[in-house]
Amino acid sequence: MSRVLCARFPHLGLLAAWRRHPELRAEPVVVGGAPELRLPVVAASAAAEAAGVRAGQPLREAQQRCPAAVFVALDEVAVEALQQAAIAALCTVSPAVEVGDDEAFADLSGSHAMHPSEVAWAVAVARALAVTLGEAPAAGVAGSRFVARTAARIGAPGRVRRVRDGEEAAFLAPLPLHLLPGDRAVLSRLATLGLDCAGAVASLALADMQRQFGPAGLAVHRLARGQDGEGVRPWAPPRTMAERLALDGGGVADLEALRRGARRLTESLGARLHAAALAAGSLDLHLEEEGGGAAAASRVLPAAAGNPDELWPAVLGLLGEVRPEAPVAALRLQAGQLISGGGRQLDMWTGGDARRDAVLRGVMRLQDRFGGDTLLQPGLAVDPGDLPERRGVWERAGGPQPAARRIAGARP
Amino acid sequence: MATSSSLAEAISALRRRYGDAAVRRGDDPVPAGVWATGLPVLDTTLTGGGLPLGRIAVLAGQRPGGPTGRLTLLQALLAIASRSMQVAYVDLPGTLDPGYLADLGADLRSCLVVRPPEAALGQGLAMARTLVRAGVPWVGVALGAGLGARARTWEHPLTALGEAAWSTRAVVCFSAPAPLAAPLAYASSLTLGCTPLGWHEAHGDVVGLRVHLDVLKSKVGAPGASSAALVRYPRPHAVGDVVGLPTLLPQQHGEGRRGVAPRRGTGDSPASGLSAAGEVPSPGKTAAG
Repeated sequence: MSRVLCARFPHLGLLAAWRRHPELRAEPVVVGGAPELRLPVVAASAAAEAAGVRAGQPLREAQQRCPAAVFVALDEVAVEALQQAAIAALCTVSPAVEVGDDEAFADLSGSHAMHPSEVAWAVAVARALAVTLGEAPAAGVAGSRFVARTAARIGAPGRVRRVRDGEEAAFLAPLPLHLLPGDRAVLSRLATLGLDCAGAVASLALADMQRQFGPAGLAVHRLARGQDGEGVRPWAPPRTMAERLALDGGGVADLEALRRGARRLTESLGARLHAAALAAGSLDLHLEEEGGGAAAASRVLPAAAGNPDELWPAVLGLLGEVRPEAPVAALRLQAGQLISGGGRQLDMWTGGDARRDAVLRGVMRLQDRFGGDTLLQPGLAVDPGDLPERRGVWERAGGPQPAARRIAGARP
Repeated sequence: MATSSSLAEAISALRRRYGDAAVRRGDDPVPAGVWATGLPVLDTTLTGGGLPLGRIAVLAGQRPGGPTGRLTLLQALLAIASRSMQVAYVDLPGTLDPGYLADLGADLRSCLVVRPPEAALGQGLAMARTLVRAGVPWVGVALGAGLGARARTWEHPLTALGEAAWSTRAVVCFSAPAPLAAPLAYASSLTLGCTPLGWHEAHGDVVGLRVHLDVLKSKVGAPGASSAALVRYPRPHAVGDVVGLPTLLPQQHGEGRRGVAPRRGTGDSPASGLSAAGEVPSPGKTAAG
């Protein structure tokens, strides 16, 4: 049984502005920049929203609606720091978390050893977020993403609204139709038919909805019954991390000096990976030559490497593969396909969940060795046309094509 | 008597310490888990009720040149397996059609298709081995014609694939044309011969292929079992499947294995839709394999 917690809080850009200018807490604040700029509103405080300012409006219109508002620029660095802090705080109480600009999700499926009941667990999550952000969120707990978000939307800050399993449809029934994130055209047609709440739509027969509105109608019907089936989309670590080292004394042609430089680079990159609790699935080594040329080599690692000792054999192998044709001025080592170094939370109820990562790694190693077109994933074309042989499509297995192995300016 | 008693005790102690498979008598059946295919006609024919785990099974075409149903059968098995696990398919002939696979009921998201460079079998087997080692529990390998002459080049990868399958308990199923190459015939733990009996027609249209299935070799049980199956092709309003046919009489089966009892009937059901004995499949249906 899946359980999802949604916590809604003021936009992180607004929180960052309040941290920087505490005196603005009681003022109408609009985040996005100066009103002269042709930019949209990113976030607005409650006082500004009361005056009619909404996210997405042009800043000039926001100024017309609320002339007393204070306009501040979005501090992206502070927002990023707040987001990372929130992720770190939530990870201590939930195995899968997701943090957006104004809402966060946490997986409350199963049970927690330190929090015996779901309510206690939810309170712990909300408290962790409140301590980190300095603002008590409005939280909702339900069996699916949409219902949890709706519960949080209609709840008050500092409160946790819980929808028990099986009571989703009853909870949604009195709510207005515009709260459903379904097809706007379908919702407006339903409204013209006099169906003004989710319960009225949920009471319709599924076959009737499909007949009248097609797949969009089915989606709206599922939402109205609280059966969207979506959960937490867990936060994923950054995909790459790189280190660059300019060699002393300009161009270096001595292999031993290159080896020493590569060792230093490996140690600094490995230390960064270790500090961030990440492990690399692939490595790219770029040698920047005097005169602008470059040579590069890459490798998918047989096992994820998360510290200098694990990285070093692969770096040595890359150093043996790459063939610079001029003295080398700088080295650049990039770790790709980063995963959490401590592993990830396994889905105990899905057979073969632990195996999936190993298979994906095997696929990437084979593609690295034999080429990307040798391992394919079959699929069906969305619009195959009249010819039956066009029904099938082939995609590269394991995701899109990675960056080219030879960097710009490199010799073939 | 005392000797046999102490021997029994020793065997019992060894089995307790090292597992039941550590010591076995020569006439004991080889313990092997099976993957139940879900096709009654196959599960009742195969020893143990399915394809053996950790071993190489071969669907061998029994007629050189011409459709034998082995490829369709392999793809039908792949489709069944894909509904419950990750599967890989080594497509050496390069003829796999995703649409056809979907019509057989496959979950395409669980399918990986391996097409080695220049259709080199050795590389294809090495890639299959890597996938098996990585944890893919079901691998199908489709072979084309003319591989026997280069058998020595893929003998070693085939052995390595067999060892990987054994250590991970994966199902490895080949589809190979006649004559079976010597290394594959040797490595196979279960060889299922596919002999075409004739097209299956309904309303003047070819809708399937009737195939006789023989267990030609089995290291996990007694060979010799046989059955007849109808490999029904997917059609616009029907998925493809494999269903059983009435068992052949021995004398009819012995005559070239092409005929079935000449039962007349109308309709689409396997039992009533059989055509006359001795019907030879005509070219033109590519999916039969």
